[in-house]
Amino acid sequence: MTRRRLALLLAALVAASGVLPLLLLAVFGLEILRKRGEQASQESLHAIAEQAAARIATYIAQQREMLRAIATAIGGEPDAPQRVRDISLDAPSLGKLRLVTAETPPRDLPPMLKPDRIAAALRGSEVASDTYLAELSPAMDVCVPAGKTGRAVCATLDLLELQRQVQRIRVGEQGYALAFDRSGRLVAAGSGAMRAAVLRGEPVAESVLAAALVNGKPAPARLKNGEGRDVLAGWASLPEPGWSIAVEQPVEEALRGARSALGFLSLGAVLALVVSLAIGTVFARRMLTALELEERFRTAGRIATGVTHDLGHRLTILQQIEQLAAMNDADYLPRIRESLAAEVGTLRRFVADFSDLTREAKPADFLPIELNAFAESVRLGAQGYAKEANVTIEVQPAPSKLWVRGDRYLLERAALNLTRNAIEASKPGSAVHLRIERGHGGAVLAVEDRGQGVEPDRIATLFESFSSTKRTGVHVGMGLPNVRRIAVAHGGTVSVKSKPGEGSTFTLSLPVSGDQSSSPSAPATMP
Amino acid sequence: MVHSSVHRLLLLTILVGCTAPPGREAFVLRIAVWGPLGELAPTSNQSALASIAQPLVYEKLATLDADEQLKPILAARVERLSGDRIQLELQRDASFSDGTQVTDLDVVHSLESGGLRVTQSERTLIVESSQRGLPADALLLEARVFRQQEGKPIGSGPFVVAARTDAEMRLVRRVRRAGRINDVRIIAYTTPRDAFAHTLRGDANLIVDLESRWLEFFRGVPSLQVVRRAGRNADAFIFNTDLPRADRVQLVSLLGTQRVRELAYGTAECAESAEAASDEWAMPAGTALRLLSWGPFERLALAARRALGDRGGEVYHLTPEETIARMKSRDFDLVTARPIRWPRSSMALIWRTGSANNFVGYSNAAVDRAIDAGDWTAAEIALQQDPPAAFVCTRDHVAVVDVRIRNPTLGPYDLLETLPEWEVAQ
Repeated sequence: MTRRRLALLLAALVAASGVLPLLLLAVFGLEILRKRGEQASQESLHAIAEQAAARIATYIAQQREMLRAIATAIGGEPDAPQRVRDISLDAPSLGKLRLVTAETPPRDLPPMLKPDRIAAALRGSEVASDTYLAELSPAMDVCVPAGKTGRAVCATLDLLELQRQVQRIRVGEQGYALAFDRSGRLVAAGSGAMRAAVLRGEPVAESVLAAALVNGKPAPARLKNGEGRDVLAGWASLPEPGWSIAVEQPVEEALRGARSALGFLSLGAVLALVVSLAIGTVFARRMLTALELEERFRTAGRIATGVTHDLGHRLTILQQIEQLAAMNDADYLPRIRESLAAEVGTLRRFVADFSDLTREAKPADFLPIELNAFAESVRLGAQGYAKEANVTIEVQPAPSKLWVRGDRYLLERAALNLTRNAIEASKPGSAVHLRIERGHGGAVLAVEDRGQGVEPDRIATLFESFSSTKRTGVHVGMGLPNVRRIAVAHGGTVSVKSKPGEGSTFTLSLPVSGDQSSSPSAPATMP
Repeated sequence: MVHSSVHRLLLLTILVGCTAPPGREAFVLRIAVWGPLGELAPTSNQSALASIAQPLVYEKLATLDADEQLKPILAARVERLSGDRIQLELQRDASFSDGTQVTDLDVVHSLESGGLRVTQSERTLIVESSQRGLPADALLLEARVFRQQEGKPIGSGPFVVAARTDAEMRLVRRVRRAGRINDVRIIAYTTPRDAFAHTLRGDANLIVDLESRWLEFFRGVPSLQVVRRAGRNADAFIFNTDLPRADRVQLVSLLGTQRVRELAYGTAECAESAEAASDEWAMPAGTALRLLSWGPFERLALAARRALGDRGGEVYHLTPEETIARMKSRDFDLVTARPIRWPRSSMALIWRTGSANNFVGYSNAAVDRAIDAGDWTAAEIALQQDPPAAFVCTRDHVAVVDVRIRNPTLGPYDLLETLPEWEVAQ
């Protein structure tokens, strides 16, 4: 993993742990806010509907009161017919005013009051029709006693003013009011499009609800209106004229505040996340650089310790050889020569181990490698060493060719390292197995021995630098860390399974090459 | 290969360029009226609803601007001459809807059928009234140029009738113009309620001649706008000419007041609102005056009776037929009416002695002389001195029209005479 990716991951972890809980909290809070907002809007709409209903009730009551006053004042006078007509000039809202008696011709009677109700009015009762649409605006026929038996003053109340009042109610930009009569017929609408239904007497989506409301059934505070839009609604009813008032506002507008807050918060959270990531990445990279520097010093110290220890050991041996040579005894000469050769070999391997550490794997330079052939090549490379240890190496190839891409030199160093370790761990006369197979999503080179195995408490640190406990003179503890470095550089892994007394299996897993069917032009072989 | 691709690309570009963008339909003006459509004819028949399309199909030689100046339409030039004569010259490139040229002969026939006498003088035509007492001005403004073609009149207007049924008449522009109305439909609904409902629903997008009271329905409707124009008629009381002149003069100052207007119309606007109102409320003693009212004028009659005080007599609210019968028998003192007031030349149609629309038999030699001389100012003064009527309220013509029309105006003479120039927002 690169330092950059590591820094990004660290920053993301920090940002997520800091911002996400806040975001969750905010979303939860906003949901509460939305519900409260909806409730508040519904209460507000209900209050507007109640106000409108109260105004309508007051208006109708005033008109009827005015009619009663007129009837009482002049209904019994001899010139009442003319005075009643005259006074309509001063009370235009009373519409057509007339004095009604038993002789009044039918064409002059209020059109929506049946004869029996007119008769009741002439007997002294106040009667009123339901509201109806006269010409283009709502109207109501009312007759009140005229203060003289057999007379009544009748009016066709012009309720255009009520229609105006309802039509002028605006809630926000899109909210409006609707008024329904007792049957659920729309009599006034703030929405221009719905006024056609007023004129034509067509039912709208709310008609049934309005009619039910007048009969005491509650109406929903949220519904789908005639245009198919979700709306919040406040309702009020007027028992006397039998009207019900609905004040509606589209949900999207009513809850725009909460939605805007959610939007802003989401945007803020995203921005905070981005800023956190940016700042976190910068700081994490700085910290990682510092850590890396510190780790380098620590590594250098460990290397120095190892090198001092190992070279000190070699130096002691060389001093002993020197002392042997100083004796000038010809009999010791072969022994001195052998010892020097052995020490030179050891030091050469020592240098080679360090040399491996300096070589970087470059994916651009990777070549296709067929693992069965590669294992055979490794076997040949380790054959000499195995012979010295009286150990045989057996290759168990995969059933078919298995291709990977990689730096052949480094992979060979890694495989040879594992193989030589396995040979060293094996008892004379035993065998080391190089097994090639297709593993979970990758190609596997497994190196098995039947040696003493690794103690469980060492397995966790086995691939760390300078962790070797062999220290037999040729191990500085850089082999397995280097194997891991090479495996990771190839996008792979290295792992170990071991049981004390039964042996170990080191597994080098590598990603398989994309095309397994075709042979590359230059198959890898040992040099 | 490359050439083939280029050709295909060019072809595609042309095809795309020639294809109307989806969802953009051509604008259609749908005029809602209520009642039977009637016939569209070049000769005056104002009672037929279809006559609203007269200025679109049948052109006049001239109309009036707001200052009562003659403005040429089909004429290239028009000029008033002395002695109630008008000189005009026909546009030479004018054509009828069948493509044939409009000739001087067509004009002569059309004007003669409209009660005018025409004298040709080289390229000009001299027009004068052939009907005693009716000025050439008034007749010329009503005369539309047409030619009988296979028994049907054809006009030279920008529109032609493309189809018609009992309920709808479709007119299309003869030569389409970008950004203008090219398709007009006049839709006849049974009742005003239907007409309003369909307009609110968007099935129609123009209603003319609305009462102010009904504007409430269209307020706040985003797709519609309100257009107004000073009306040509005024609500008035026409007097029985048997009333003494002094009484009539007093009645004019008594009834044409703001107080009467407020009583009769409430807050509705009258053009006379700003005029100084007379506070003279006294009428000379005399018998109570009988007032006839019909249709929408009951409140006006009641307001007048209150203004008349002791002279205010019985108010009879009658049917139009009953009203005419009472007028003919001279069994009234004042009767409500809505006579034409503009242009002033139209005074002749109502107040000149013996004219067809002079229902009350008004006769004033000074007025007749002024009308015959085409001196409208003198005629007005003469009418004021011996008034036949008291004018109370000149109300606006009100229309609601589609908001996509940028410059909707109602014509001063014919309501829709400016329609061909209305611009439509794309």
